[in-house]
Amino acid sequence: MMTDIQTILPVAIVLSSLIPGLLIFSLKESQHRLRITLNLAGVFSKLLLVGWMLHGVSQGQQFSFSITFLPGADLILQGDALSLQFVALSSVLWLATTIYAIGYLEGSAFRSRFFGYFSLCVSATVGLALAGNLVTFLVFYELLTLATFPLVVHRGTDAAIRAGKVYLAYTVSGGVLVLMGVALLHALAGTPDFIPGGYLSPVVDQHQAGLTLAFVLMVLGLGVKAALLPVHGWLPQAMVAPAPVSALLHAVAVVKAGAFGIIRLVYDVYGIETLSILQLTQGLMILAAATIIYGSIRALQQTEIKKRLAYSTVSQVSYITLGVAMLGPIAAIGALVHLVHQGLMKITLFFCAGNFAETLNIHHIREMNGLGQRMPLTMAAFTVGALGMIGVPPIAGFISKWYLGLGALETGQPWILWVFVGSGLLNAAYFLPLLYRGWFAKPAVEWAAHPQARRPASVWNETHWMLLWPTLFTALLAIVTGILAGSDFSPLAWAQLIVAREFAP
Amino acid sequence: MNAALVSMVVPFFAAMLVLMWRPRQQSWLVIVASIVSLLAAVMALLSVIDSGPQSLNLGGWESPLAIRFQLMPVNALLIVTTAVIHLIVVCFAASSHHCQPIKQAFWPLALLLHGSLVALWLSMDLFNWYVTLELLGLAAVALVTLAGQKALRAALDYLLLSLFASLTYLLGVVMLYGQYGTLDIALLATLTEADRVTQTALLLISAGLMLKAALWPLHLWLPAAHSSAPTPVSALLSALVVKAPLFILWLLWSRVAPSELAVPMGFWLALLGGGALLIGGWSACRTPHLKTLVAYSTVAQLGYGLLALGLLLHWQLNDLQAALWLFVVAHAMAKTSMFLAAGEIQAATGKKRLNSLRGMTLTMPVALFAFAVAGGSLIGLPPSGGFIAKWLLIQPMLIEPAYWPWALLVIIATLLSAAYVFRVVSQGFRQSSVSATASEHGKSAQWLALLPAILVWLMALFSEPLLQLMDVFSA
Repeated sequence: MMTDIQTILPVAIVLSSLIPGLLIFSLKESQHRLRITLNLAGVFSKLLLVGWMLHGVSQGQQFSFSITFLPGADLILQGDALSLQFVALSSVLWLATTIYAIGYLEGSAFRSRFFGYFSLCVSATVGLALAGNLVTFLVFYELLTLATFPLVVHRGTDAAIRAGKVYLAYTVSGGVLVLMGVALLHALAGTPDFIPGGYLSPVVDQHQAGLTLAFVLMVLGLGVKAALLPVHGWLPQAMVAPAPVSALLHAVAVVKAGAFGIIRLVYDVYGIETLSILQLTQGLMILAAATIIYGSIRALQQTEIKKRLAYSTVSQVSYITLGVAMLGPIAAIGALVHLVHQGLMKITLFFCAGNFAETLNIHHIREMNGLGQRMPLTMAAFTVGALGMIGVPPIAGFISKWYLGLGALETGQPWILWVFVGSGLLNAAYFLPLLYRGWFAKPAVEWAAHPQARRPASVWNETHWMLLWPTLFTALLAIVTGILAGSDFSPLAWAQLIVAREFAP
Repeated sequence: MNAALVSMVVPFFAAMLVLMWRPRQQSWLVIVASIVSLLAAVMALLSVIDSGPQSLNLGGWESPLAIRFQLMPVNALLIVTTAVIHLIVVCFAASSHHCQPIKQAFWPLALLLHGSLVALWLSMDLFNWYVTLELLGLAAVALVTLAGQKALRAALDYLLLSLFASLTYLLGVVMLYGQYGTLDIALLATLTEADRVTQTALLLISAGLMLKAALWPLHLWLPAAHSSAPTPVSALLSALVVKAPLFILWLLWSRVAPSELAVPMGFWLALLGGGALLIGGWSACRTPHLKTLVAYSTVAQLGYGLLALGLLLHWQLNDLQAALWLFVVAHAMAKTSMFLAAGEIQAATGKKRLNSLRGMTLTMPVALFAFAVAGGSLIGLPPSGGFIAKWLLIQPMLIEPAYWPWALLVIIATLLSAAYVFRVVSQGFRQSSVSATASEHGKSAQWLALLPAILVWLMALFSEPLLQLMDVFSA
């Protein structure tokens, strides 16, 4: 029996960011205090609601809300273990990014517009995580595209507009492909709720061609947001956006929306059995592996910090896709936990890059020499993120790579281990020089002589506290989730719970 | 049925009143008449939902002689849409400062347009349609000329083509009358045979209608006429007037034409629809002027209507009726919003070109937002009315692999529409060289422009009752 709370909670989680967002649009630029209050009220109420739902789902409660929408396809918001993995991640990181963004944008123009769209983006992300069927997923997926565009072009410069157009060209095309895929599946099998093991096995004999085409369409469409080769091109371009946008949206929300969609598609729509019959995952696996290597190589070639991080995202997000495509339970754990871990580490790295740019106007790798003397805390956070990406224990990245590697062996695909080894080496090759420069190289100019850099009074003042604290917070989370991975409340434990439910016979 | 008649008569009556009495505050009279007409339209819709289709023979004559009005779910929906859009547009015209100069002649003509549209939706015979089409065409041309000297050329073209189309239409009607001795749709439906004369007559009528509806490739007059007209007029023409011939075309081919003729014709209509989508969309992506872009978007979007109609006939698939009419309604709302927003922006900047939109997110945020939201429905982004219609349209295309090329066409059309909508929106985000601030001027007009865009997104929430309404009809 569903209680009222169990119906309302999924909607409330979406509304907790949507309503403050809409209110913020109506504010004048000068209503600074009110805007911050609304933002924080949204953030904390969302965290509270998500915590509530997490508790409920771990107890085995069902949360579901639906209204009629299309013939045979209602709009359904529901909370299951998988959706909460993503919802919890976005909500926690929204907290960090909101504070970061308030500090970052202090005194600049268009803040109401920025925070309004920012909240819309978070609502769309949470909505697509909570979506209970493909049509609902599609609705929020497209809304996410729309809500992100104004943030990419936020600065209004020619470069920003150009990047915005590239972004739209990719994501709208991807959206159309997803739409077609969803509609095709609807035509062939209707749109029932997501269900572990998928719902397509009854029609697989009848509609082989249709199901194959739908899978290809959906993976290409979702692959745009997940930055899969060959449709990853928008991500590095979108780096002209302000740092908080790059951090939350392009490291977490948007790219993860694509990866999350692929997870749903593989586990809860097609199901492992159907996919093995159709033999579709081999191609996806090769595509993901190629993206991992390609992204790493391109990252190595970049000289701008943000661009290098962007290509690193291209590479790292595909770990999730690869883990999913292996179709084994252990690889699935690796993929699901990487969804969280990569988010924590990458947002840290982007926050750091934003701090360097804001505080000392440092954008290029060659300018990073000796940065550790001037901004030791940010540099330390950066080190945590970078080492985590490489996969050094005990940082979170190690855990996910460990499970992904085990999964490759379990499913009998040892060649994937070589992909991981190669990518790990490349990761080291493009991150370690940055760390070396930051900690050990001599700065080109003495920091005391740097035009923007009077020596801060204390180490905690190396940059604005609203920029520093979120960075340290996410870095700390990346370490803690790694160290406490074995505890009951870690993302790893939650991923195991999801897999236990998804792979249950 | 009576409510529907009220909805038709009130605008006519108010038009007379405005012309003869010439009150000082004409706008209030017109707005009140529109509200009354809307209320009556809603009552008519409710009565159709309650008690099904109704018909009325004027003067009590029986069917070959009588003028018959019929109220069905589809035209009830169209009557409501017409009334809603007229109400919004006249409120806009009354509140926008840029519409001041056109006021005097605008009010009675807009009312006349409203009344003739409702009469056309209600009619069910070929001659009545001829009369209402003529009324509609004349009112529309007169409205275009209100923009002054610069619109005369376009208005004259519109007038001549419209008259030519009427003659073609009339010729076809005469041939049908000669053959079957009646013009009533229901009677004709029982009589028609797939012979040469019928085919020629139907083709002549269709050619006339397609010219009036600016269906590709007979669309060439539309961009000039719709973009040079005064803003409220552009909205009415694009949203409503071009849909009237489509309605007749639909009844003609789905009811009157025998299926031996309708099935092959459907294929050609669908192809023409595809041409409209591609070439209209492409032209909208190329034009340097804002209102022309919106007008080309009408050409393209009418392609969806034609595509739905064509496939409905070709596959003899009545499910597509819902797609067809939801397209029409969703497009009517979205296009009203777009034209009002575009007109307001153009009037504020005083420039026609697209690059005058720089910095509009700051100076006219509501108008730009209206344009974007309406554009979202035209692209077919969920959850909007345009999305629902597109969803219904592509469902039958996807079932058979042989039909997949049609789906590809829809993909390309969607991408083109996204391209022209975001062409405008991204200009608005560009930094402006002059530091401008949001002007309080014209706030209410901007909000009125946003209203139909919001309505079209709300359509998605009410998709279930809407679809039920359509199902009642096909059953």
